[in-house]
Amino acid sequence: MNQPAATPKIVVNGVSRQFPAADPERGLALQDINLTIGANEFVSVVGRSGCGKTTLLNLIAGLLRPTEGEVCIDGRRVEGPGPDRGMVFQHSALFPWLTAIENVEFGPRNLGVPRDRRRALARELIDLVRLRGFEDKYPRELSGGMKQRVAIARALATDPEILLMDEPFGALDELTRAEMQEELLRIWGARRKTVVFVTHSIMEAIYLSDRVVVLSPHPGRVRREVPIPMPRPRQRSSTEFMAYYEDIHGSIF
Amino acid sequence: MGAVTVAVLLVAWETAGRVGLLSAYHFPRPSRLAVTIWDLVVVGFPVGVTVWQHVGATIARIVQGYVLAAALAVPLGLVIGGVRALDQATAPVVTFARSVATISLLPLAVAWFGVGERSRVLLIAYGCFWVILTNVVEGVKSVDPELIRAGRMLGSTPRQVFTRVVLPASTPRIFAGMKVALGLAFMVIVGVEMIGTIKGLGALIMEARTFYRSDTAMVGMIFIALFGFALARLLDRLERVLLPWSTGLEAVER
Repeated sequence: MNQPAATPKIVVNGVSRQFPAADPERGLALQDINLTIGANEFVSVVGRSGCGKTTLLNLIAGLLRPTEGEVCIDGRRVEGPGPDRGMVFQHSALFPWLTAIENVEFGPRNLGVPRDRRRALARELIDLVRLRGFEDKYPRELSGGMKQRVAIARALATDPEILLMDEPFGALDELTRAEMQEELLRIWGARRKTVVFVTHSIMEAIYLSDRVVVLSPHPGRVRREVPIPMPRPRQRSSTEFMAYYEDIHGSIF
Repeated sequence: MGAVTVAVLLVAWETAGRVGLLSAYHFPRPSRLAVTIWDLVVVGFPVGVTVWQHVGATIARIVQGYVLAAALAVPLGLVIGGVRALDQATAPVVTFARSVATISLLPLAVAWFGVGERSRVLLIAYGCFWVILTNVVEGVKSVDPELIRAGRMLGSTPRQVFTRVVLPASTPRIFAGMKVALGLAFMVIVGVEMIGTIKGLGALIMEARTFYRSDTAMVGMIFIALFGFALARLLDRLERVLLPWSTGLEAVER
């Protein structure tokens, strides 16, 4: 799990991203990012607000194009967004006019999967995220944690090999957040995906990941990459865990 | 509770009229209005034109103008809202045209289309058109960009992004515009019925004014309010059936 070089899934190669701004210094969100992420690896990206975490994720997603450099997946350059990468957004971004199960079916429907097949697939995913009984609820009828469960199921519905997560639990309360972290590890164990997880919580990053990438701001650069070879489930209160926390916290501040 | 308030107000009004606090001409009593309604139903005003004919004529004009406006404004608004350059190019014209008080166009409409039905229906359509157009354009433009990104990540082609994300996401705003436009139609109707016709609730009010029949004018006003209210409720119902997921509506542009 911790030899990313063995089978590179995602390669971020010399990527810079400039946004239009009066002051070009401030417009430079990312500068010369090099990152290799292995198949089935769980990588978190942490850093202070404005360090370009989300920009990096959007570049891998293909929602943004790099100003310089390239992002490759399985050796092919990313040219745009696609269902080979599932994305989970911070505020779920569920379609409010669709029920939970219809949201999950959205991707397969775009790809022309026949109705019966995609319904069966969606049911299976609803079970995976433990939302049986809530299939026909609209997003506004669901709690924050349930919405993110639907969002994860929706992202998995096109069977992507990569899951991109943009502070998916950032808007949840403490308890729901801890619960969702467990759920994510369980789902990741069941489905084996390559996960890129953006968060501003160092604890969350250490708890979940095989490797933590620390970005520094203005412009965004990779400051450090910290492998976390602790076995799971991890104890947040263990001395080893706290040592990682101190170490990463120290390199951010 | 609401019914009690109405009953109390009616009794107070009636009493004030009977003891001479309100003049019979300026504030005809409810009992007088009831007689007037009865007369309008059986005899009509002018004689032979019953209240149902007035109501029928008014509703027919509103429905025609409203449907015409919606049929043009919804598709056009979807296109303008979806193409940024088109929105920027049309924005000044739309803002200006929307600011023109519809009734001020009455003389021009008469010059262009005569004093017949066409002028009246087109003026209602004009007023409704700009309100609906503005709201459709805003509805399309204000779709949460995160939903569009989600759609693209889930394999939507640009066409699917429009039909499966943008279009459904903007329906609450489109509906809101349709409701405001209906209210506007009921305001415009009175003005456009003031010339060239003796049928319609606006014409009834004008005719009553000519003959100093304040009671008849008041009844005309009440009928307009009642039907405006009923149609607005109908749209509310329709919205709840068609958009059960919608939580309620944000601010709407007039």
